[in-house]
Amino acid sequence: MTIPTFGRDSARPKPARWLPAFLATMVLVMSGCAGTGGSGEQESSGVGDVPTDTSGTVRVLMENVPDTDIVKSLVGEFNKKYPDIKVDIETMTFDQMRDRLVSSFQASEPAYDLIVVDNPWMDDFAAAGFLEPLDERIASTTDYRPDDFFPSLTAITDVDGTKYGVPFYNYALGYIYNARDLAAAGLSVPTDLDSLVQTSQRLKSGDRAGIAMQPQRGYKIFEEWANWLFAAGGSIYDQDGNPTLNTEQAARALNAYIETYRTAAPPNSLAWGFDEAFRSVSSGKAASMISYNWNLPALNDPSGASGERAGQFALAPIPGGKSALGLWSWAIPTNSAAPDAAWAFIAWITSPDIDAERVAKGGAVIRQSSLTNQKVLDEGFGAEYYKTVGEILKDAEPLTQGQGGEEMIQAVGTELNDAAAGNKSVEDALRDAQAAVERIQK
Amino acid sequence: MNFKYGMLTPLLALFGVAVGFPLCYAVYLSVTDYRLTDREPPGFVGAANFVSALSNPAFWEAFTTTAIYVVIAVCGELVIGFALALALHQQRWAKDLSRAIVLAPMFITPIAVGLIFRFLLNDQIGAVPALLHAVGANYDFFGSGRALLTLAFIDIWQWTPFMVLLILAGLESMPKQPMEAARVDGAGPVYRLRRVLIPMLAPVLTVAVLLRGLDALRVFEYVYATTRGGPGTETQTLQYFMYLEGIQFFRLAQASAMAFIVLVLVLAVIVIAFRTIERNKA
Repeated sequence: MTIPTFGRDSARPKPARWLPAFLATMVLVMSGCAGTGGSGEQESSGVGDVPTDTSGTVRVLMENVPDTDIVKSLVGEFNKKYPDIKVDIETMTFDQMRDRLVSSFQASEPAYDLIVVDNPWMDDFAAAGFLEPLDERIASTTDYRPDDFFPSLTAITDVDGTKYGVPFYNYALGYIYNARDLAAAGLSVPTDLDSLVQTSQRLKSGDRAGIAMQPQRGYKIFEEWANWLFAAGGSIYDQDGNPTLNTEQAARALNAYIETYRTAAPPNSLAWGFDEAFRSVSSGKAASMISYNWNLPALNDPSGASGERAGQFALAPIPGGKSALGLWSWAIPTNSAAPDAAWAFIAWITSPDIDAERVAKGGAVIRQSSLTNQKVLDEGFGAEYYKTVGEILKDAEPLTQGQGGEEMIQAVGTELNDAAAGNKSVEDALRDAQAAVERIQK
Repeated sequence: MNFKYGMLTPLLALFGVAVGFPLCYAVYLSVTDYRLTDREPPGFVGAANFVSALSNPAFWEAFTTTAIYVVIAVCGELVIGFALALALHQQRWAKDLSRAIVLAPMFITPIAVGLIFRFLLNDQIGAVPALLHAVGANYDFFGSGRALLTLAFIDIWQWTPFMVLLILAGLESMPKQPMEAARVDGAGPVYRLRRVLIPMLAPVLTVAVLLRGLDALRVFEYVYATTRGGPGTETQTLQYFMYLEGIQFFRLAQASAMAFIVLVLVLAVIVIAFRTIERNKA
């Protein structure tokens, strides 16, 4: 077919006709691909006490969670001390965050000046050189009191003796239960693995589950089961950092976990994660769950999902006393365009006084002193809650150590889920989980 | 340069940048040892990633899982879509309304569909289990041996309308005389369907199955929103497996190699399908 040219046959030389179109297209495409540019790069001084006349824009990437909203609400107060630092917080869901972070680390132009890092990513990001070491800054910040952070949390920010982060909020797990149900059944809070199984079974009545579990493949089942493992006296790693998943304690923990899933959890809940378990407990369809300690205030919120059950829930340490632990940490990317301004914000938001203010507003605990701060006790979620959180954080351990954390969690979580589904024996699942971790983290 | 070729230049330039560059970059990555956490230029490893993928049992397990999923989903969509298209073709009034209703699921984003079914099939709060409980039945939608069927069912729910759309278009553009002639000659409905309608629609059906099959191969959102590949690895599809490898575990080079193996296999299927159509035409 011939395209009509409407007599525009041409005075111009032929290449000139397609060249402008080609160039225009390329310009459009290239401009679409171009970044928005940095905020004016600054060299990192490494200092702790950042002068209050420092100026710059701190672009922050954070997860879309209530703790972020609390941080946002404090930015105005930060600007009273640092009026020339603009804090620009971008939020996104957890699942999007890591991909965005990794691509921003690789970009020639920095996309973020301050980030929050989940604990399974810490070692990989540090080893890749994506994060700025913070030891000097921490040590030289006046009145910072780094020893006040829970040691279980700062241990996660430490990679081979160097600190790459500062705790932002913890997500240690606790035993959350409906106190009225427990009293009605004449039961007390379970304190060991056997009583956890029995209590869960006895709390089950009719269609109502004794415990809402989260055996979904991957992170969820591993995070939940780790508490059962600790309760059985087991561990994920030994003192030398070798994985210890194929042990007698691990087998006992997995057998107990599966027995509880089959006899006390909601039926057909093999794919359940956090959302389903929380809804089950808040709607009164399950009497207990193992979940993040800061879910208690959400469950007891009269305007929240629990409705008339608000106020009936209580928090206890994991039976056996040791919890699985997660942590989000503040960190400065090495390609940050405003590292000093970023540190100014980190040091300010995690300083003892401001941290207490953040916790009093409902933020998750990171400092020991915040637990006894009067403002926290008066305005927060009650002395009993903070006492229990303190107990939980005293003895808590993350799921993974070293690089390859995500893959290790996925591998173990797959084996555990397979065993819970009845596709694999407990022995085979633990043997394969151990082999996978040895292969991944050799 | 001739004007008509000049007019093609913007399209070719866009195509080169939007499709050609990512494809070439993926080819380049697949022969390197690049990890997302690397800051140094990647090293050349030749075919090592391809060999590693081809000898990886988990890759083939994911491949088989995906193939089963595609076969179940596309067969279901073809049968239901064909029946619905025939019904809609016969419809005499409120045609536009009923077609709009039938096509609606297709316009919902797959991740939202996955999340809807995650809660719709939840044993404690879902409407479907509640209906089953009401009649004394119990079914574990995401349990062992059933989760993949459930995901295929979700695909059928969302994408049967696409099949309806294509088959309906085929039916409406088909000449009426052969069917009428068959009826006048005394052929029954089943005979007319088997011997007249289906053969006449064969090219449309082939294209519809091919398009749906290729699209179903890319299943990711339903897995992500519901099972995360479980129980065990029962619903770990190729896309989810490659997502874990490339993004979660940082091994982008290996994931690229896997993607290219899948691409070659898919291209082979497409070529065979189109050659078959051409041969049948001849």
